[in-house]
Amino acid sequence: MKFRTQSQQTIDSPALDGFKIADRPFLGFGLLMTSVIGTLAILIYFGAWASADRITDRAIEAGITKSSVEAEWWEKGLLLTCPLH
Amino acid sequence: MRNAALWLDKKLGLNQHTIAHYAWVIVAIAGVVQMVGAAIRMAFGVLVDPLVETFGWSPGSIGLAYALMSIVTALSSPIAGYLGNRFGARNTMLAGTILFFIGMMWTSQTQAIWELYISYGLIFGISQAMLLVPVVPAVAAWFRRHLGLGTGIMMVSWSLGPALVVQILAVLFDTVGWSQAFMLVGTIGTAILLFILLFFRNTPEEAGRQAYGIKAADKPLITSGNIFISTQQEFQGYVYKTNAFWNLINIHFLGCVGHAVILVGIIPLGISKGLGPLTAAGVLTTLSVVSVTTRFVTPVLADKFNAKTVMFFSFLGQGLGVLLLLTADSTLDFYIFAILWAIPYGGEGTAFPVVNRQYYGHSPMGATYGWQLLGAGLGMALGGLLPGLVFDITGVYTWAIILSAVFSLAGAVAILLLENTKRQLIPDWPEIETNKAESSHASGD
Repeated sequence: MKFRTQSQQTIDSPALDGFKIADRPFLGFGLLMTSVIGTLAILIYFGAWASADRITDRAIEAGITKSSVEAEWWEKGLLLTCPLH
Repeated sequence: MRNAALWLDKKLGLNQHTIAHYAWVIVAIAGVVQMVGAAIRMAFGVLVDPLVETFGWSPGSIGLAYALMSIVTALSSPIAGYLGNRFGARNTMLAGTILFFIGMMWTSQTQAIWELYISYGLIFGISQAMLLVPVVPAVAAWFRRHLGLGTGIMMVSWSLGPALVVQILAVLFDTVGWSQAFMLVGTIGTAILLFILLFFRNTPEEAGRQAYGIKAADKPLITSGNIFISTQQEFQGYVYKTNAFWNLINIHFLGCVGHAVILVGIIPLGISKGLGPLTAAGVLTTLSVVSVTTRFVTPVLADKFNAKTVMFFSFLGQGLGVLLLLTADSTLDFYIFAILWAIPYGGEGTAFPVVNRQYYGHSPMGATYGWQLLGAGLGMALGGLLPGLVFDITGVYTWAIILSAVFSLAGAVAILLLENTKRQLIPDWPEIETNKAESSHASGD
């Protein structure tokens, strides 16, 4: 089959005729998602580390215990999310 | 010169083309577009102090404008690539030029921090994507063969250009002040872009010329009309279904995190190890200059041999080379690192257009490349953030170096899982049949 273009030229039969990709791109998409999750994990880990340090510094500065320090919302969030802190 | 051109033609197996091919004009235009488009991005560091002095804004809040611009550029890259495919690279770059002018003028007159976020972060961010994304696929369209050669030369100009413009900007900031400098660069940059775009053609077919590397048996590719649009959508649908499409975004992301950590962190790391600021800056300059060689060589090698293997060694070298910094504590160590690491680093991101060609043939690669630049842009943003974050916590850069290595080596592993680049993953883009007699015969099919 050939197609006529606007300029009255024809193009070769599109090679996509009958072409199929049956499989879904699980491997490629999975690798991308692995990187996204791994990156988030790293950011959460270091973010929680930084949050814990900030809270400790404020506690020392104020001469109170860490549990008495009023943490910022993002500090609380990071510490809550990170299983290692 | 003519003899050299004829020798190259013979070497490349070309019948009729010389070095004086219009494809090189397109490559030169691409170089200038990058130089102008990326100049203000590269010179942001010079802008921080004048803004602090003039308005009293904190460096952190000014830096947010840069982060915003990087993220906006990354997020708008796939759209810019799509627009390049749909409306042509020239029209897309023209729109990007108008945004560039608005962004520059507004930034020069900014009085409040929110204005900086909109003018520099948002408008300039979108402008960058519209200038920088469509130009690479457009260059690719001008090379039927030997795309590695065209890409390599373009990549060299891309690394040298911003380095030159940064120096000019630094002098301008000192002599006329930041506001006037932005107005001057905005006006001159826009005039240059508008002028060179007069000579830009999206495809050889549009210019009534032949692509570089075309042979007698080749026919022109379909590049316009309704069939072009519908066929392109159909092809792009298949591109999305390949593992390579997603994995290449991932690989570009990982590679860019790997080197952004070093590009941002090498000067403070050097200073923390006792190097003077100028010496530390010299390390960054050295690796930038040395990387020019592999920016050129890598796409050429990728085109000639197996692109997957070439990319793998670039990522492997980038990942392992960075470990030299763990023991570096003298000026000599840092300069040895700069020379050795720059070789794989230069080849990290330059083979992507060639890989796209090997996987997807001559189909328009604007959207595909735009998605890959989304990964790269986010990687650069994250990589720029990591050294400071890690240093603030640990007081040393060791973890930043290890993370850089981990990201690059993860990229190398992801490359191993790519399909073989010797096998095209989708059928090749259709050609136009120009023979009228054959055309009328064919219409009866």
